[in-house]
Amino acid sequence: MQRRIRKVAVIGSGIMGGGIAALLAGAGVEVLLLDIVPFDLTDDQKKDPKARNRMVQAGFDAALKSKPPLFYDKKNDAPMISIGNLDDDFNKLADCDWIIEVVVENLKIKQQLFKRIEGVRKAGSIVSSNTSGIPLKDMSADLNKEMRQHFLGTHFFNPVRYMHLLELIPGEETLPEVLDFVANYGEVMLGKGIVWAKDTPNFIGNRIGIHGIGKAMQIMLEDGLTIPEVDAIFGAPMGRPKTAIFKTSDLVGLDTMSHVSSNTYDLCVDDEERDTFIVPDFVKKMVENKQLGNKTKGGFYKKELTPDWKWLRKVIDPKTGEYVDLDKPTFPCLDAAKQCATTAEKLQTIVYGDDKGAKFAWKVAAAAAIYSANRIPEISDTIVEIDNAMKWGYNFEMGPFETWDAIGVEKSVAKMEADGMAVPANVKKMLASGATAFYKLENGKKMFFDFASNGYKPMQTSEKAIVLADLRAAGKVVKSVPSCSLIDLGDGVYCIEFHSKMNALNGEMLDFMKEAGEYVKENGVGMVIGNQAGGMPGAFSAGGDLSYMLGLAKAGKFDEIDTFIKGVHEGIMGTKYAPYPVVAAPYGLALGGGCEICLSADRIVAHADLFMGLVEIGAGLVPGGGGMIHLWRNFIESKPGVGKITDLAGFFIQAFMSVAQAKVSSSAADARNNGFLRPTDRIVANKDNLIGEAKKEVLKMVDDGYAPPRKTKTAVFGREALGMIWAEMLNMKSGGYITPHMEFIAKKIAVCMAGGDVPQGTLVSEEHLMTLEREAFVDLWRTENTQKMAENIMKTGKPLFL
Amino acid sequence: MKEAYIVSSVRTPGCRRGKGAFGQTRPEELLVQALNGVMERAGVGKEAVEDVMTGCAFPEAEQGLNIGRVAAQMAKFPDSACGATVNRFCSAGLEAISLQAMRIKAGWCEVAIGSGLESMSIVPMGGNMPRPHPEWAKECPDVYMSMGVTAENVATRYKVTREMQDEFAYHSHMKAANATKNGLFKEIVPTQAARYVEKGSTWVKETFTQTFDDGVRDTTTIEGLAKLRPVFSATGSVTAGNSSQTTDGAAATLLMSGDAVKKYGVKPIAKVIAYAVAGCRADEMGVGPAYAVPKALAMAGLKVEDIGLWELNEAFASQCIYAMQQLGLYDKKELWVSDSDKRIININGGAIALGHPLGCTGAKLCAQLMTGMQEKGAKYGVESMCIGGGMGAAAIFELCE
Repeated sequence: MQRRIRKVAVIGSGIMGGGIAALLAGAGVEVLLLDIVPFDLTDDQKKDPKARNRMVQAGFDAALKSKPPLFYDKKNDAPMISIGNLDDDFNKLADCDWIIEVVVENLKIKQQLFKRIEGVRKAGSIVSSNTSGIPLKDMSADLNKEMRQHFLGTHFFNPVRYMHLLELIPGEETLPEVLDFVANYGEVMLGKGIVWAKDTPNFIGNRIGIHGIGKAMQIMLEDGLTIPEVDAIFGAPMGRPKTAIFKTSDLVGLDTMSHVSSNTYDLCVDDEERDTFIVPDFVKKMVENKQLGNKTKGGFYKKELTPDWKWLRKVIDPKTGEYVDLDKPTFPCLDAAKQCATTAEKLQTIVYGDDKGAKFAWKVAAAAAIYSANRIPEISDTIVEIDNAMKWGYNFEMGPFETWDAIGVEKSVAKMEADGMAVPANVKKMLASGATAFYKLENGKKMFFDFASNGYKPMQTSEKAIVLADLRAAGKVVKSVPSCSLIDLGDGVYCIEFHSKMNALNGEMLDFMKEAGEYVKENGVGMVIGNQAGGMPGAFSAGGDLSYMLGLAKAGKFDEIDTFIKGVHEGIMGTKYAPYPVVAAPYGLALGGGCEICLSADRIVAHADLFMGLVEIGAGLVPGGGGMIHLWRNFIESKPGVGKITDLAGFFIQAFMSVAQAKVSSSAADARNNGFLRPTDRIVANKDNLIGEAKKEVLKMVDDGYAPPRKTKTAVFGREALGMIWAEMLNMKSGGYITPHMEFIAKKIAVCMAGGDVPQGTLVSEEHLMTLEREAFVDLWRTENTQKMAENIMKTGKPLFL
Repeated sequence: MKEAYIVSSVRTPGCRRGKGAFGQTRPEELLVQALNGVMERAGVGKEAVEDVMTGCAFPEAEQGLNIGRVAAQMAKFPDSACGATVNRFCSAGLEAISLQAMRIKAGWCEVAIGSGLESMSIVPMGGNMPRPHPEWAKECPDVYMSMGVTAENVATRYKVTREMQDEFAYHSHMKAANATKNGLFKEIVPTQAARYVEKGSTWVKETFTQTFDDGVRDTTTIEGLAKLRPVFSATGSVTAGNSSQTTDGAAATLLMSGDAVKKYGVKPIAKVIAYAVAGCRADEMGVGPAYAVPKALAMAGLKVEDIGLWELNEAFASQCIYAMQQLGLYDKKELWVSDSDKRIININGGAIALGHPLGCTGAKLCAQLMTGMQEKGAKYGVESMCIGGGMGAAAIFELCE
């Protein structure tokens, strides 16, 4: 029988339940969100359905309001969710294909709930718990066999939409068919990275994660470091998120963190590092004082408003428990790491340094490595699961074993032994076998070291999950320049991969794209434009490198800017009209030039978390790579040919505002709603599969019979748009809503998008529109204000409104 | 010249744009009910009417196709009753009344209706397809300027403070609330309206009768008004609370010559004795009444002090206050505040509370003024408003003995 998920019940409407409900709604599933009837109702309220649903309504409303948004597409996804309470709506669980429990972490409550579910659920339905700490076997012991066969742990991470990790915990009797199904569903429909965990306390991510936090605090107190010092080390320099250790704790909440910690202490009696899970006294005191982090507007860090309205950043001094002024600490090892190109080099520089910070970093990193290795096979069978859990659930750039590889296993083990640390037996055994790294490439295939068999095994990955770094290591790079490469994806499909800072576009890339295009024309069937930069959300391409043009502008070489933009247009249009299909695979930030590259592709295969927009106005410019042309075409051409648009303004105003206000989408669904994605463009839930899906799309287009787009003319709004915009600009100017140069740029945008001074409905060529775009672009560079704005955004990353 | 008499003058309630009672009622239906109402009150057969003129500020789409003629036909006037649409934006309804009065005075007509209509819910302010002339918009876009911005200009240039505007708005609501509560709007004709409601999977048209203006807020306070943010300028003083409401409504006035009054044996209410329009700068169009009222008074040989009742359209508190200042009326607070028995200006509130259905307003204020003049026995009544593009209009009526 084909298993399908059409309706899911999520029981518990807290931050996790709400997030899971929003994610499922985004996958197009009907969701029933339930919570308890409040205990404190009056007799009258007990009869009022609204009062009875007060808890769940509050949870649902919080999910709707959350920032960053939990919903991909609030307008269309939220109606997929219906709410109810556990007294009046419990029987509705009988219709559900999957029931997810996300209630309070209390074994007794969970046991009672599952017993009730047992009574109403339909046979064959999946039941899972999102518990982060309670053993599944204790929850399911009293349930009937059929239910135990359909019971598992599905542990999502907060915020659900953005955290890639989904830990799946099989029960002893869970049917393999059920496990396979949930894993595939989680990967394809919910976009998650699946990690198989065992039924041990706090599973993988939180067990390793909380140990790392506990250890860092312990050593910090022993060695007398400050909180900002610890965060300066264990942030970006070590390949960790910017929130490092203590800001992450503020984000999670000190209460939650302490709970996970003491839960581990209580349940893991044999853990060799059990002491690490004792919450330090100064943290205990903070929890008592309700200094819980961001949710109480003050945790380890706090912002205070001074009498003269300035924000003062403060931090807890663990010794006194008082807030003190925050300074920006550094260590020689961190200064040295700044000069390193790769994270691996940075890691080596830091952990093998000899200042106080470096010694701290070494102790904590070594402890994490040892602890992780000792957890196999206790919490996981392989190192891969642990590395993935930390990358996907804690946003580490590298997991503990990848980090270990980066600092050199032999070298670090020698240092551990010299320092009197207990090196895990399995690692010693690995080194004894002659293997010196946890991961290696063999014939282009990525292998990991398997402790159980004391040898390498190939990584199990989905066929769609193409990893460009692996292809690169396997020698699949066809051509390369410092900022850009052409990689052979197989089957005649080639990928243009950007790898500049934030993947910002530059002249070198544009030249390279022409060259790569020639290569694909000769040797391939199609092209993917995609990359896999790290970070959350990461940057497909965050814009264009302005320094080159700013230099030209300052030297008064406007003719050269004109020539440069001509080249950009040739490149963009060359790709657009190439005799092979081009599919762009954007994710995360796709701004300015990065957005324009996508808009000119035959098709876009986008990750669901897409932040796309034409934001050039913030740099004092109009989009110069055909972005306005293609956005307008998306608007005006997504209708049946026989449909007549009487009111072009209804389309023009929205398209114009997108560019003039530098609107950025909040998701791929939002980008579709804003006209950036066309009906034929696809949205992929799983970022790991993006390049693979884009490749599939290329092959399908080839298979279907590909012909490049025809060069057709476009209807424009013309002079009528100019009348409207000029009149409206007077209102905005009078109201003080627009600064003079912004008004100047907005009017340029209007001219470009309206097709200039022609009657409305005139059919104009792309060449006409490109000329307008180029003129506007060069005109703006001629102004001192645009030069100032461009310079400011390059220096500060923030727009200057002139 | 002959005299032109007002025989009957009515209006539908004014209801808030969008969520208000008339939000989904076709504009023709509002006008038809005003036309029927004015004829019923006059007690004269429809065959007497030679022409129906309708003021409408955005006579397009549902209000287009010469709504004056369409509505007359829908109201079952005989084919002999003609119809026209006139537009002078916010004075359009008064313009229609004045045009009919002039035709009667000239002897070109005996019985005619001047009316006004606007469904701001259905045809948006600015129209569905505003298309400023591109070259003129570059040279001088003032004539296309947002009304709110002109109100800000009046406030800043003539120093009308936020406090003055909010206080004025407060009194408008209080006066209107009092009038509603005490049934003082005798010119209102109960109006059938419809709303479409989704019931299960089908949409159902629900009809009901609306008898009152639904934008009046009797709980408004000056403190509450003070909290509102300016909407047209980041640093401005014009808020949603001290501006007129956008509203749906219709109004109609039946006019006759002296001969016709005798022929049909009706008792006239008042005579139309003067109508003037005056131009001003487009970017401060709100000052218009300050020019139009003196012009009309001069025409009639009257002074400000002769006027017993005023209906000064409250497009924005800022411009209305300025006009009152120029006429020497603002400082005499007893003439306009809600708790004064001596009040003679907007005695039952104005557009801030009752709404400003653009093209209907001129006809609507006439109906309110007729009620008030009869009630108070005021000999002379003035109605005036500012007009987008930079104008003012004013008309003077004289109560019949």
